[in-house]
Amino acid sequence: MKKNQWLDHVILIIGALFMIIPIWLIFASSTHNPNTIISDGLQWLPGGNFTSVYTEVWNKSIGFSSDVNAKSMIINSMIMGLGFAIGKIIISMMAAYALVYFRMPFASLWFWLIFVTLLLPLEVRIIPSYEVVASLGMLNSFSGLILPLIASATATFFFRQFFRTIPNELLEAAQLDNAGPIRFFLDILLPLSKTMIAAIFIIMFVVGWNQYLWPIMMTTDESYNTIVMGIKQTLSDISQSSQPRYDHAFALVIFAMLPPILVIIIFQRWFIKGLVETEK
Amino acid sequence: MKKQLMTGVLATLLSSTTMAATDITWWHAMSGQLGETVNTIARDFNASQDEYNIKPVFKGSYVETLTAGIAAYRADQAPNILQVADVGAATIINARGVAKPVEDILVESGYGFNNQDYIAGVRNFYADSNGKMIGMPFNSSTPVLYYNKDILAKVGVDAPKTYEEMEQVASKLKEQGYATFSQSLTPWIMFENFKSRHNLPVANKNNGFDAPATKIMINTPDMAMHFNKLKDWSDKGYYKYYGSDWDANQTPFEKEQVAMWLGSSGSFGGLRNRVDFELGTTYLPYWQSMNKDAGRTFIGGAALFAIDGKPKKEQQAVAAFFSFLTSPETQMFWHKSTGYVTVTKAAYALTKKSGYYQEQPDAEVGVKQLSLPGGEWTKGYRLGFYSQIQEIMHREFDNVFANRISVEKALNNIDKESQVILSRFARTVR
Amino acid sequence: MEQRQQYTHSALPYFLLVPQIAIIAIFFFYPAAEAVYLSFMLEDPWGQSSLFVGLENYTILFNSTEYLKSVVFTLGFALVVSFLSLSIALLLAVKANNILHGKGAYKITLTWVYAVAPAVAGIMGGFMFNPHIGVFTEIFASLGWDFSLYTDPFDATFVLVLVSVWKQVSVNFIYFLAGLQSISYAVNEAAMLDCESDRRRFWTITFPLLAPTGFFLLVINLTYAFFETFGVIDTLTSGGPGGGTTSLVYKIYRDGFIGTDLGGSAAQSVVLLVLVLALTWVQFKFVEKRVHY
Repeated sequence: MKKNQWLDHVILIIGALFMIIPIWLIFASSTHNPNTIISDGLQWLPGGNFTSVYTEVWNKSIGFSSDVNAKSMIINSMIMGLGFAIGKIIISMMAAYALVYFRMPFASLWFWLIFVTLLLPLEVRIIPSYEVVASLGMLNSFSGLILPLIASATATFFFRQFFRTIPNELLEAAQLDNAGPIRFFLDILLPLSKTMIAAIFIIMFVVGWNQYLWPIMMTTDESYNTIVMGIKQTLSDISQSSQPRYDHAFALVIFAMLPPILVIIIFQRWFIKGLVETEK
Repeated sequence: MKKQLMTGVLATLLSSTTMAATDITWWHAMSGQLGETVNTIARDFNASQDEYNIKPVFKGSYVETLTAGIAAYRADQAPNILQVADVGAATIINARGVAKPVEDILVESGYGFNNQDYIAGVRNFYADSNGKMIGMPFNSSTPVLYYNKDILAKVGVDAPKTYEEMEQVASKLKEQGYATFSQSLTPWIMFENFKSRHNLPVANKNNGFDAPATKIMINTPDMAMHFNKLKDWSDKGYYKYYGSDWDANQTPFEKEQVAMWLGSSGSFGGLRNRVDFELGTTYLPYWQSMNKDAGRTFIGGAALFAIDGKPKKEQQAVAAFFSFLTSPETQMFWHKSTGYVTVTKAAYALTKKSGYYQEQPDAEVGVKQLSLPGGEWTKGYRLGFYSQIQEIMHREFDNVFANRISVEKALNNIDKESQVILSRFARTVR
Repeated sequence: MEQRQQYTHSALPYFLLVPQIAIIAIFFFYPAAEAVYLSFMLEDPWGQSSLFVGLENYTILFNSTEYLKSVVFTLGFALVVSFLSLSIALLLAVKANNILHGKGAYKITLTWVYAVAPAVAGIMGGFMFNPHIGVFTEIFASLGWDFSLYTDPFDATFVLVLVSVWKQVSVNFIYFLAGLQSISYAVNEAAMLDCESDRRRFWTITFPLLAPTGFFLLVINLTYAFFETFGVIDTLTSGGPGGGTTSLVYKIYRDGFIGTDLGGSAAQSVVLLVLVLALTWVQFKFVEKRVHY
């Protein structure tokens, strides 16, 4: 097995380069004069503007009122990411548990009803969704920002698939012990699902974090601006602006990447830990 | 110290209770530096008086802003002012009762309105067939020709005024190994403003102003001739078609791969900033054989629409803002900071007086071109679902310049498909 | 698949399902129903006039060669993107699981990209493959490939595939790695005794065990390629050149948002929904049956 390891490393390094080169280019370019980026494209080597660009972007207020800046937008994106991920995990675990572990009339109907929501992205239903949120009085609120996004079945689908891989014997044993459905869920299923929860959390957090179109449609209060909205607001191209600040936009892109990466790193740990525990 | 604090508190209390300023919102699509200029104008307006308070909100791209406006309108949450791009103008103007004409809003609130105050090429673009202005032209520009003085001097030619001259210049440039020109936004430059420059109709029903148009004048001898020439020039290497992307056609000019570029009159600032050669700006070329007295072009960009059905006080606030926005000082500020043209004659005169055009002669070209004599067909166009038609044009022209289809076939395709789209739109207009 | 052991509880499952069903009823089925309604109408987008046109919106679609082209493009694009994202991710996950040293570093670099917002990915691609200043355009040119994002449909498709795959590999990698790690060492060890070749062991033991993860990812990747790549298309090619990269969802977005033809775009949504539903049903019918849990 060991003899082939160098080949594995080569493949992994190629893969890692494929993934990381674009991000490196964005980072290196963010430290150059924007005119260099416009005239010569992305840069392989960093330029000299690192401190000035990054401090300016961090402190600059973006928007009409002066209290919208990188920090406030990152906080909003954080709320979006956490709210979305936690809300979705709770709701979808409950639904998936019901679908897999209960004998229910129309079980497959319920499943398909939930499943089709994968198939019509928010962009397509944005005008009616806006109407609903407006009539519920949820414009300019985090609940209005988060709830419509939860209406998609990815996580439910995932938990359903996962629950079905859990051996039947566990439930039989639990039933022999007279453990009710809630006990079974809390004592057995939940600990077993740790890894999957971590995986889903990563994914959902990033989805929530990166929201742009929905927030820009339904908020008019700048205090709800998310970081991706900030990027879009900073970004303009040469057809619109004599001096597009690509350096600022790219620096914001780098800032916007850091918190999700932190989440990925933390939850990957949890991932492994969860796995090691189930091994025992 | 304490006393000072007290008066401060008192002052804020007073200002917030007695003046209860009327708040209005303005949804716009101006990002980057443009967005910052928008914010400055709004702040200046708020500081200039204390009855009204405007709040600009960035709503993404033009498309996203319009969609947000539509969604909000349908749910009774519309802003007071919505920025709509030129291609979307027909959509909002033809929907009865959505936008309140700026002319009405200004007159009802006691500000005068005379459309002759506006520059000729600006005046009618967002107006109805009687010339009543519906949308307030905001960020406006028009296509002009930029040229590389160094290259032209090396070859010993002047910047072409006509496409005939362009052809002659091109053969000389080719001898020296240069490609002659590229252009950004084919529908805008080679169809809409081409028509205006030659005083030819863009569409039936008086360019769509009298009633929803059902046919655009794309499959016509003038278009066939022009696009066959472009195709021929493209084959000869005179004209470079880099696709429908704006920047992809502008960058080669900046990098001296083409000697000229047809683009927006507002682009000079960035060009000056980045290029290492002597930049020249002049009017959009025309075919002398088609119209020897070629006239003005019209504007592109976007306008501000006042949404109807708002309380009177808010409409007064909108009027006050429009009045502020069109004041010569604000217009000059906008013109100088962004490169977009001034929309009023008074602002143009003021800018001229300020000596700005001595330092920035390029800035004046657009305004002057918009003020050239015009004719029957130089007002603009009103075409519903027009961005779908523009997409079709891009698709077909991509195919023409990639040798996948003939010019005749492409023009015919655009004509046929656009008729379907236009007649659909006509049926939505009541 | 054998019958699972299940609870028979009368109220609890409904209680558990209610939040999910309520949210999708309000934010999904109501808007979807409105889309179906709109697909029979011709409306101005502001809702000021509304005309029942029967099946007109549908007949226009079915008579349009561009629409047919778009269907073909979408299916091809979705298959290529899903296949590449899955196989690259699987390869990397297997290798990352195999090696002894540097696991953590690879894992982080390989998942990092997931943090990039889709809207940003398109812009990055636009720079990298720009015809004049793109670093990759220059590399391709030096290899003799006259690459042109904005005028050659093949090159444009190539970039769209590349950027879409790049965005998706990380997610697949996370799940495959989780799946691989949960396949117990015991199974692996037993397998090692039985068959000598790494490759054989992978295809006969590991791969079938990964099948549930793989099936799930297949569905997720197809929906990604169908629905979520339109943002990349919007920023990179706008459906061009020559309309060659207009996916179905991008067309819906373009006609409905950019073109403000709500009726026509709603009809497209309905057709798309039916199409994808049929595809998914087939997937479930034929693929899931073979997947052993």
